[in-house]
Amino acid sequence: MNYLIIGASAAGISCVEAIRSIDMEGKITVVSDENYPVYSRCMLSYYLAGIIPEGKLKYREDDFYRKFNVNAIIGKKVDAVMSSDKKVKLSDGSVLTFDKLLIATGSRSKMEKIPGIEKEGVFGLRNIDDARKIEKRLQNSKAAVMLGGGLIGLRAAYALHKRGIKVTVVVKSKHVLSQMLDEEGAKFIQDKIEKEGIKVLTGLAAKEILGNKCSPRIHSGVSEANSVSGVVLENGEKIDCQIVIIGKGVQANMELVKNTEIKTEKGIVVNDYLRTTVSDIYAAGDVAQANDLITGESTINALWPNAVIQGKIAGFNMVEKNIKYDGSISMNSVEFFELPTISCGITKPKGEEYEILVRKNIASSIYRKIILKDNKIVGFVLVKDVDKSGIFGLLLKKKINVSSIKEVMMGNNFDFAKIIPLIKQYKSEFAEKEYSEILI
Amino acid sequence: MLNEGKKIYCDVSKCLGCRSCELACAVEHSKSKTLFNAIKEEPVPIHRRRVQAVDEIIISDACHHCEDAPCISACMSGAMYKAEDGSTQHIEEKCVGCWMCIMVCPFAAISRQTKLALKCDLCKDNEKGPQCIISCPTKALISKEV
Repeated sequence: MNYLIIGASAAGISCVEAIRSIDMEGKITVVSDENYPVYSRCMLSYYLAGIIPEGKLKYREDDFYRKFNVNAIIGKKVDAVMSSDKKVKLSDGSVLTFDKLLIATGSRSKMEKIPGIEKEGVFGLRNIDDARKIEKRLQNSKAAVMLGGGLIGLRAAYALHKRGIKVTVVVKSKHVLSQMLDEEGAKFIQDKIEKEGIKVLTGLAAKEILGNKCSPRIHSGVSEANSVSGVVLENGEKIDCQIVIIGKGVQANMELVKNTEIKTEKGIVVNDYLRTTVSDIYAAGDVAQANDLITGESTINALWPNAVIQGKIAGFNMVEKNIKYDGSISMNSVEFFELPTISCGITKPKGEEYEILVRKNIASSIYRKIILKDNKIVGFVLVKDVDKSGIFGLLLKKKINVSSIKEVMMGNNFDFAKIIPLIKQYKSEFAEKEYSEILI
Repeated sequence: MLNEGKKIYCDVSKCLGCRSCELACAVEHSKSKTLFNAIKEEPVPIHRRRVQAVDEIIISDACHHCEDAPCISACMSGAMYKAEDGSTQHIEEKCVGCWMCIMVCPFAAISRQTKLALKCDLCKDNEKGPQCIISCPTKALISKEV
């Protein structure tokens, strides 16, 4: 069997590991346009913050490809998939064939169409190159503006703040992390980061990125007006800065399937087996549009754990295993200034069919919100007291009726033991041996 | 030999909830490895096993070393891994405290220290084997091959 994997991040790497756990003989080729060892892009903001050195970005050991007997083609891009010929064309004109293909090309930062976006000093934060460029420019910068208050924007803001840069976050929405959190939950985060010195402006967008005609010591041979010197907001306010980071969400890297039969919408559409609309071609990770476990909608939940699981199942299915994917889950975990937050599923329910349980203590920053539909958990937000989140996630995934434990779920002493009666009651739902092994 | 099993089970008919296991776990994962000195350490050593209760049931629970471990899939730093003996292990030097593992652990068996996730490692560095089992006065904790 001739396996071809495009992309060497979460989904691509876990696909390699899945294939090799079954098929030691097949030929595996991985093509990656990033010229680095296997690394974790989620760690970039930690690197930028100075918390870890560049070497710790590594997700797998340097000998990963050799150990898994993979032919790695690094630093080359796949320009086009020729699905009917079972071939792909690389940026250097060469052609590779495949029996089974995984497209795990991920996503890139959405760049806004605002005047000045092309200036030196405007960055996304998606890969090592971005991080290195920001790192270099930091040395001569005093202030930065983040456009977007999502995860990427806030993580970048937190990182630059740690490096002593004056940071302003400009958010179009009413509050930060509007994709991940409800307004109440987000307020805890926003209050915390503002208290620590990051400025947050909500309900605003940038109108223009200004360039410098004077002479900061920053630029390198670029005409000076092309080096970022500030941002003008919709309301006319001007913020001086030397760095602008765009954190306006991500878009799928799916140009390579443009002229094929492979169906695309927001991403490459896959079925419950991670197969695209063309047989023998699979997609996983941020590029793949799969069913959401909670809403049932076909969507992209661009998140490391989803990508790893999708890559793994796609890998098994490429070796003809036929394993069904439960669906992706919208969830995330962040921590800013020692205040952790985890959210999952529907966090901003609209409609009377939802029941909302809330426990809140503003003084100690504790917030627990659980959203139920027909007595089943469909979402939750936890601030500070996040340790039990996996149990809520388990009940959500298994779609268990929690009416008997509503009160205890919101209590101080909630722990795994409290759901043992439910595990006994719904034995068939808890079929994995880890649950049946509990000696009760 | 106590170390041969890959999993630790709690027989709830024998567990009295005395928390000897929690104490032994915390001491084992301290710098000094003695109770007297461990309680004075900074950060205070954290136990990775927890005695919990519901209705009539008392159970001492920790990482189940799941076959298809969600914490490994979720770990974005590559710190969590499946060891050759089937146990789920964690390279503390690689952990940045992103809490993705906490987000997905169905047993809530992972604890937080500043920027570091902590979980049961089956006392892999102690040739005597899991200290919780040794410390259990009623032999409620047992280790067996899976």
